[in-house]
Amino acid sequence: MKSKYLILLLTALGIMGYCFSLADKSALAQSQDAEALKEIQAPTSEKEFPVPLRPLPKTITPCRACHGPEKDFPVNFKRREDLLVHTNIRLNHGGIRLWCLDCHHPDNRNYLLPLSDGKVIEFEQSYLLCGKCHGTIYRDWRDGIHGKRTGSWNGVKNYYLCVTCHDPHNPKFKPMAPMPPPKKPWTPVEVQARH
Amino acid sequence: MKSFIVQAVKRILVGPPLYYAWMTLLLIFVAIGIGSYIQQLKVGLIATGMTSYVSWGFYLGNFTFLVGVAAAAVLLIIPAYLYDFGPIKDIVIVGEILAVSALLMCMMFVTADLGRPDRIWHLIPGIGILNLPSSLLSWDIVVLNGYLFLNLLIPGYIIYKAYNEKPVNYNFLLPFILLSIPWAVSIHTVTAFIYNGLAARPFWNASILAPRFLASAFCSGPALIILLFQIVRHYTKFHVKDEALHKIAEMIAVAMAINLFLLGAEFFKELYSDTHHLSPLKYLYAGMDGKGRLVPWIWTAFTFNVIAFFIFLIPFTRKRFLTLNLGCVLIIIGIWIEKGMGLIIPGFIPAPLGEVWEYAPTTLEILVTLGIWSLGLLILTINLKIVLPIETGEFTKHTASNGALASGRA
Amino acid sequence: MRHKKSSESGSSPGNRPPTDLENSSIKKTNSELLDRRTFMAGAASVLGMFAVSSCSWQEFIQNNFQRMTKEEIEQTVERLRKEYKEKYGKDFVVGTEGPLEATLFGYALDIQRCIGCRKCVYACVEENNQSRDPQIQYIRVLRFKDGDMDLEHSTIYYDPEEVPEDGYYYMPVQCQHCANAPCTKVCPVRATWTERDGIVVVDYNWCIGCRYCMAACPYMGRWFNFAEPVIPAESINTVTHYLGNRPRMKNVVEKCTFCIQRVRVGKYPACVEVCPVGARKFGNLLDPDSEISKIIRNKRVFRLKSELNTQPKFYYFFAT
Repeated sequence: MKSKYLILLLTALGIMGYCFSLADKSALAQSQDAEALKEIQAPTSEKEFPVPLRPLPKTITPCRACHGPEKDFPVNFKRREDLLVHTNIRLNHGGIRLWCLDCHHPDNRNYLLPLSDGKVIEFEQSYLLCGKCHGTIYRDWRDGIHGKRTGSWNGVKNYYLCVTCHDPHNPKFKPMAPMPPPKKPWTPVEVQARH
Repeated sequence: MKSFIVQAVKRILVGPPLYYAWMTLLLIFVAIGIGSYIQQLKVGLIATGMTSYVSWGFYLGNFTFLVGVAAAAVLLIIPAYLYDFGPIKDIVIVGEILAVSALLMCMMFVTADLGRPDRIWHLIPGIGILNLPSSLLSWDIVVLNGYLFLNLLIPGYIIYKAYNEKPVNYNFLLPFILLSIPWAVSIHTVTAFIYNGLAARPFWNASILAPRFLASAFCSGPALIILLFQIVRHYTKFHVKDEALHKIAEMIAVAMAINLFLLGAEFFKELYSDTHHLSPLKYLYAGMDGKGRLVPWIWTAFTFNVIAFFIFLIPFTRKRFLTLNLGCVLIIIGIWIEKGMGLIIPGFIPAPLGEVWEYAPTTLEILVTLGIWSLGLLILTINLKIVLPIETGEFTKHTASNGALASGRA
Repeated sequence: MRHKKSSESGSSPGNRPPTDLENSSIKKTNSELLDRRTFMAGAASVLGMFAVSSCSWQEFIQNNFQRMTKEEIEQTVERLRKEYKEKYGKDFVVGTEGPLEATLFGYALDIQRCIGCRKCVYACVEENNQSRDPQIQYIRVLRFKDGDMDLEHSTIYYDPEEVPEDGYYYMPVQCQHCANAPCTKVCPVRATWTERDGIVVVDYNWCIGCRYCMAACPYMGRWFNFAEPVIPAESINTVTHYLGNRPRMKNVVEKCTFCIQRVRVGKYPACVEVCPVGARKFGNLLDPDSEISKIIRNKRVFRLKSELNTQPKFYYFFAT
């Protein structure tokens, strides 16, 4: 159980450098109804495989409003614990190995760091960034093994992105209260007394 | 035929005070049983102690025991008809009537256990579906009904001839008699297979189960017969030789020896290999997770069986009626526990997913069970009341037409 | 079929054509119905023959679903819809969709992911109209101590503040939809069988309530309605299937059907949809590109009690 979370911890804020092999054809083949999917789910990322776009919350965009060379907050590559803004974010991902600019594009905060082909990753395709570190999980997710899908087993599926379930700044899955246990069956009276 | 029925009814209605008391007692229990059963139908099987963990209980325990009683009639048939052992041949008919009553009780117990008795017609081939050959329960229905048919036919034919004061044509009867021997074995074997075939229940899923069933049946059934014969010869003119009873007692000794040996074999296998298959046995004999409702019962059964074995083994005790009857009672109780609750309940404990939830029959279940037993005994009494006078020649075509009423007591 | 019909007692002698669906007993109140049922059931079984319906006449003579003609199925469905409308005051859909071509359903559950939250248990109860009292829950979530997979040491009654708990892992168990199912084999009346798409179903109107299948099942995948099921009308699911989640009656067996009413029309089972960690996977075993096929091909899977050769179509796996 723990190792699972450790691995997840290493997930969402990705790294630079390695380009994930995009050429994996099986990704496309994986959905029987790729075409139907395209029709119904208009905004999908074109390249990888059909995944619904995940709109960003209005409050945090556009990042460029504050961040950028010409703005109030110049790029500072020093790792800091206390931020002046974004105080709601407690980065708990990858330990001291990671911090903001390991995932967020330093020069254009509206994007995430690029893949090795130099093209930046949009927030809507954050899974590409996650996949940079968490390659095997990314592959499982693409195959529908990791993560959740709803919809139709033989048709249109709703994909849940990495960040739907894992907060990229604190990716460990949150514990939750369980539903009530089942009622115990009828037992002979004298046995009940002993319980 | 009409006069036969009239006379038979008269014979049923007339008897000494003890007879009336006995019949009234039975009828009261039957009435209570029916009332309880209607209640069970009304609220559902939640009125019983059965749960999704222990989904069979007291009813099927009694069913299993009674199949054994019915099967044991064969023990009498073999020496009676095949080896022409006189003393038993004279009395074999009583054994068969006992078998009929036991079979009817079996069927009542199964019906009581059914959730939807209104759908029992689903079992009738043609309009319903009898899932042959794959369901052992279907097979059991076939063999039980077949055995019932044989046990109605053979004594029915003999009685018919006796009533008409004609000799019995054994050439006609022989094929049925021969058939009834493997058939008796089959009813108990198939009943054992009902449980035996379930890989989900390691306690039953041992090939020793069917042989043990037979061995124990050949203890309890004949023990019941020995007691019954003594009652019959005490209260009626029907003659039963001591020789016959001692012969039956000898058979019980052998059967009990085999039964105990097989039990020992089972113990060795489970205890020595010490796998999870031991768990139900552990629950039964020692209790588990602080739950051991059956422990005192099964040790009672074990003790009774062992004592009874020695009683029947030693000629001195076997041939004295005091000890003989004691042995019979011990064996009946012992086997009733062992082949009833002691067999059914541990099959479900622990449950296939490992939990230990116990079972105990509710009052309603016990009342329904008493009702069925009473109804069975009622049927047995009525049958004996008609058949025994015919056998002794008190009640024949002639006496019937004369309107004479023999003072046969039940 | 909404037009009014003369009120005729369902217990009247059986010379009416069985196709007459407009049974009157529907018009009675529930309690009246119940009383009549119990009385009738009692009388019927005591007489041991010609049980004049613990139910409507049509219900009593109703055939096994597998032997019904198309017309009979339509008529039965209409009758059931009326009964349900009477009982719950809602319009029901009682589907009879057959198996899809080239489909064999399989299920996989990621033990590594499952956090034991029991959301699936309750989603299943809601979706499949299981009795709330007495309680029936098709899914049992077993909790094991780390390092142990001994069923006898597991529990389903754990109740901590939060899950997952340290030192434990969870394994939900439900009907495993065995290819070599011991339960269907033992049914004396063939009231339960495996559909072509691999779903093990029960015809609730054919089951005689002998519970042999429950004794035969090594997974405790079958449940018995020990009393008349109680489901609040407001939480009843009206989208049903004849072989699936339509309301059941007392004293019959029921079980998980992979949500037959959902999967036969392409949806995921309710437990798959609700699982917060995506541990539950479902799909077509015959499709090599389905999630389930990929799991079996690429992951280490096992089947519960495989030594019994029940050949479940329910796989457990470890994704990472």
